[in-house]
Amino acid sequence: MIPALQHIGDASPRVRPRRRSLARRTALAIQRAVSDVLENDEVASRPGLMQRLDPRVKLATILTFAVTVSFVHSLWVLLGIVAITAALAAASKLSVITFSQRVWASAGFFALMLSLPAATAWITPGEVLVALGPLSITEPGIYLAARLVTRVAAGAGIGLLVVWTTRWTDLLHALTALRVPDLVVATLAMTQKQIVSLLRTVENTHLARESRMLSSGSAKENRGWVTERMAFVARKSMKTADDVYDAMLARGFSGAMPSLVRLQTTARDWAWVAAGIATCAILLGADRMVVAR
Amino acid sequence: MSAASEFVLSGVRHEYRAGSAALCGIDLVIETGQHVAIAGANGSGKSTLLKMLAGLVFPSAGTITACGHPLTEDALEDPAFRREFRSRVGFVFQDADVQLFCNTAFDELAFGPLQLGLSETDVRARVATVAEQLRIVPLLDRAPYTLSGGEKKRVAIASVLTMDPSVLLLDEPTNALDPRSQVWLLDVLEEWKAAGKTVVIATHDLSIAAESADRMVVLSEEHTTAADGTPDEVLAQRELLLEVNLIHEHSHRHESGTHGHPHGHGQVHTHV
Repeated sequence: MIPALQHIGDASPRVRPRRRSLARRTALAIQRAVSDVLENDEVASRPGLMQRLDPRVKLATILTFAVTVSFVHSLWVLLGIVAITAALAAASKLSVITFSQRVWASAGFFALMLSLPAATAWITPGEVLVALGPLSITEPGIYLAARLVTRVAAGAGIGLLVVWTTRWTDLLHALTALRVPDLVVATLAMTQKQIVSLLRTVENTHLARESRMLSSGSAKENRGWVTERMAFVARKSMKTADDVYDAMLARGFSGAMPSLVRLQTTARDWAWVAAGIATCAILLGADRMVVAR
Repeated sequence: MSAASEFVLSGVRHEYRAGSAALCGIDLVIETGQHVAIAGANGSGKSTLLKMLAGLVFPSAGTITACGHPLTEDALEDPAFRREFRSRVGFVFQDADVQLFCNTAFDELAFGPLQLGLSETDVRARVATVAEQLRIVPLLDRAPYTLSGGEKKRVAIASVLTMDPSVLLLDEPTNALDPRSQVWLLDVLEEWKAAGKTVVIATHDLSIAAESADRMVVLSEEHTTAADGTPDEVLAQRELLLEVNLIHEHSHRHESGTHGHPHGHGQVHTHV
């Protein structure tokens, strides 16, 4: 016989809209993170321009463009690079809106926060556009801050393009081919796998809690819960790391991670390299001309 | 103990923390070619015992020998012994997620043979053969975290088989497997038996022990050996199985009325 408290009552649940708790918002963010990771392979499999390139070539592209972006001083040329990344996203069958949102909402936002002081008269004196005492916004300050933000967004866009259009496994193979030490590549591979695995654990833990909650709980309770789960995940990740190492030892691991992957470049890849170098040269030339004026 | 003994354990004790024993006074001899099921309730020490046989955990007291050689941490520091031992003894972990740490399923299958120093041609040939045997060819290009539970288990087993071990240690192999995959696993175990491989399975699933093993060792909740015999002999000792928490008294109703009998995980019973 089951205890009386386990009998099903006849009270109907009252449904009323409520604000999402911190724990709920965390669970939703984790769900999104997991689906983003899993969706990445689907995006990287689309028949787009950058998906067809050798991953090593794409990594080389990142480096070339990153160097170019760091040498560019003109805001207009930087905006041109941002436009090029958006065009490449479209040619690679990515949603330009989603791509731009990701770039500006993450890298752009943080760069804006960091560069805001540079827009003030305190750091960059000049003609005042908005008078706020020592924190007045100046015209050269705004230009400087806009250049910093755009530079970060341009770099982040290039990086995001490579990550989105390349399967994680191919990216790791490319790193191996580019002579990045085996242990570094293996650590990256395991880290990504463990992140997915731990995200799923945390997601399930949040869902299990939510399924037994009648109210969203106080903010203090939710903060405590989220912090406690973070500690739990940290402990679990250490245990998992030990188990994975045991699994490696059991299969003869002795410190090296040899691989059989052999990547091959095609004419398309070399055409891309040539186009990339030419574009960077044109951008640097244009930057010199604009700055000289 | 005969010349063909694969493992010999004498007075083995293991403590993860001082005063908290995971195994107590285990004496066990496993002969080459035997199929042994180590059964016991959760926390009885099955996984620890299996890890000891795999040279991953070492006794706090007592000794283990593998094929006549002492199996110690120091012995495994010797590259020649380590290579010989790791190529001979394969371990399939309970949690396939732990075992699959490479980029793709292909890399998983190639990892062991590459560690053994085989040539690229040999490694590719082994991967192709085992992938075909376990019907995982379509999975080879996929990242392990995108696989289902059953697929992960197949890849985990395949990743060990490519090393062509003569001893296979499997920790709770039927965990997370659907019924079709469980039947598939039993077929694989039969093939290994026919091939003369030594197999040691840690399980609390009595049906897999009864169907696949020719010897059954039961660990008690006190972490000692409670029984050792053929599956028929051990499974006939219902009082013992109740005591070690492998079966429980279960009552249910038929048209003729309610009755009770011992019932264990994965155990099929008949009514007269």
